[in-house]
Amino acid sequence: MDYTENKKLIVFDRVTKKYGNLLALDDVSFKINEGEIFGYIGPNGAGKTTTIKIMVGLMREFSGNCTIADYSIPDNFMNVQGLIGYLPQEVTFQEWRTVDHALKTFGKLSGMTDNDLEQRIKAVLDLLDLTEVKNKKIQKLSGGMVQKVGLAQALLHTPKLLILDEPLSGLDPASRFMIKQTLKELSKNGTTIFFSSHILSDVQDIATKIGILNKGHLLKIGNLDELKSEFFQTQDIEISLSHLAEGWRNLISLPGVNKIQQKEPGKLILTTEKAMDLDEVSHNIIRQLIELDCRIRSFKPIIPNLDDVYLKYINEDN
Amino acid sequence: MSFPILFKDELKGFYKSYIMIILWIGLPILSILLYLWSPDTSEEMPFSVLIATMISSLGGSLAGIMITVHLIHERSRHVYELFLVRPVKRENLLISKFFAVFICVAIACAVSLVLGMIIDYFHRGTIPAEIIKSTYESFCLSLATMASWCSAGLLVGVFAPSVLVGVILIIFVVNNITSIALLLPMIMKASYSIVYSMIFSVILALIFLILAIFIFDKKQF
Repeated sequence: MDYTENKKLIVFDRVTKKYGNLLALDDVSFKINEGEIFGYIGPNGAGKTTTIKIMVGLMREFSGNCTIADYSIPDNFMNVQGLIGYLPQEVTFQEWRTVDHALKTFGKLSGMTDNDLEQRIKAVLDLLDLTEVKNKKIQKLSGGMVQKVGLAQALLHTPKLLILDEPLSGLDPASRFMIKQTLKELSKNGTTIFFSSHILSDVQDIATKIGILNKGHLLKIGNLDELKSEFFQTQDIEISLSHLAEGWRNLISLPGVNKIQQKEPGKLILTTEKAMDLDEVSHNIIRQLIELDCRIRSFKPIIPNLDDVYLKYINEDN
Repeated sequence: MSFPILFKDELKGFYKSYIMIILWIGLPILSILLYLWSPDTSEEMPFSVLIATMISSLGGSLAGIMITVHLIHERSRHVYELFLVRPVKRENLLISKFFAVFICVAIACAVSLVLGMIIDYFHRGTIPAEIIKSTYESFCLSLATMASWCSAGLLVGVFAPSVLVGVILIIFVVNNITSIALLLPMIMKASYSIVYSMIFSVILALIFLILAIFIFDKKQF
C-alpha cells in the first residue's frame, strides 16, 4: 500500500451512533492525514471511546461512513487490521498470562514470525522499561505497568496507525514523558497517531491537530492556534511591578492597548489587539513604564493554553 | 491461521487451572470408587452407562461452568478487544476455547475409564470383551455428553449478563437438557439406545455451538 504526503488515512464522515435513546455520536465528521498526531479531547461521556471503537471495528452498527486507508470500516476491516495498533481505555489480559506470553500471542496473531517477534519483543520491552517484568504474571503488575504492557502490544507489529484510548492515564510523570517522546519519534517516522486524553497538557505537548468533542458533537478541529483564534481575539500581558508610579492609566493611549486592569497592587493586566505586533506593543509599553519611573519586576504575555481553549468551547456549547 | 495459535493459548490457560487439576484427580478417583462399589444396576441401565452418566455429568458440568465463568469474566473485562482488532475470526475465539476444555476433560475421562479397566483386570485376572465394549461405549457417550456441556457453557457464556445467572442456567437448565438427550433413548427403550444418546448429544452440542457463534458474532464490544 503506497502512502503519499497529506493522504487522508482516516475519514470519518457523518457518523452517528445511538445506544437505545442515547445519542453517543451525532453527525461527526473529520479527516486525519498520514503522519499526524491527532488529539481527541472531551468530557466524560462525550463519545471519544465510541469513536475509537468504531474505528477499530469493535462497534459495527452505526450510520455514516468510516474509512481507514480507503477501506470501509467495518466491512473491510480485515484489510487494515495489520496496519493498526490499538490500546483500549482499560487494557486487560487473561489472568494466567505473563508479559512475555501475552506479547508472543498478540504478535503471532498480528502475523509476525518467530524471529521477528523475539527481537521486537526485546526492543519494545526495553523501550517501555518492562524488561525486568517480562516473565511476571500481568495480574501481579501495577496499573501503570499493565498500561505499558498494553502499549507494548500496540507497538509490537510496527503499525502504521496507532489508535490509543487514554494512553497516558495511570502512568508516573517519567513514564508519561518517555511515552510522549516515543510517540513524537514514531510520528516523525511516518506513524499516524490518533489518541484520546483527559490530560490536556499532554495533548498540547504532542498533538499536531486537536478535535474537541462534547455530547457527541465535534465542536472544533484544528491545531492549537486555529482553536485559539475563534475565542482569543486579544492578547493579554501581565506586568508585575515593584513600584507603580502615577500615570500608569495613560498606557491605555498606546496603540494596540484596549484595556488595563489592576489585578492587585503591583500587578497590571493589559489587553492588546491580537492583530498588532506583540513585540512593538511590548516595546511601547515598557518604554512608557520606564518613562513613568515604574520598576518592572516581570513582563509576561499570557498565552492561552489548551485548558483555556477547551473550557471556552465546552462552556460555549453547554 | 489464528485458530492454532488461539487453541494452544487456551490449552495453556486451562490445563493449569484449579478446576482441571480437580477433574484430572477427581474423575479417576470417582471411577475407582464406582468400580469398587459396583452397584447392581438393572438391565435397562447398563453399568457402563451409569459410569458414563456420572463421569460425563460431573466432568461435563464442571467444564461447562468453567467455560461460562471464564467467558463472562473475560467479556466483562473487555479481554477480547485486543484479539478482535487483529486478524482473528470471532468464531475461532469460541471454538478454540471449546476444544481446549473438551480435550482436557476428555483426557480426564479417558484416564478414569482406563483406571477402571485396570482395577477390573486386577479383580478378575482378565478383562472380558464385554467390559472392554462397555468401557468403550461409556467413553464415547461421555465424550458426546461433555461436548454438549462445553458448547452449552459457550452459549450461556456469550449471553448471560453475570456469572451468577450463567452458573444458574448451566446447573438448572443445561443439566436437564443434556440429561434428556442422554437418557431419553433409554427411557423409550430404543434399541441401540447408547448410539442414539450419543447422536442426540452431538446434535445438541452442534446446535449450542452454532448459536453461541451466531450470538458472539453479533456482539458489539
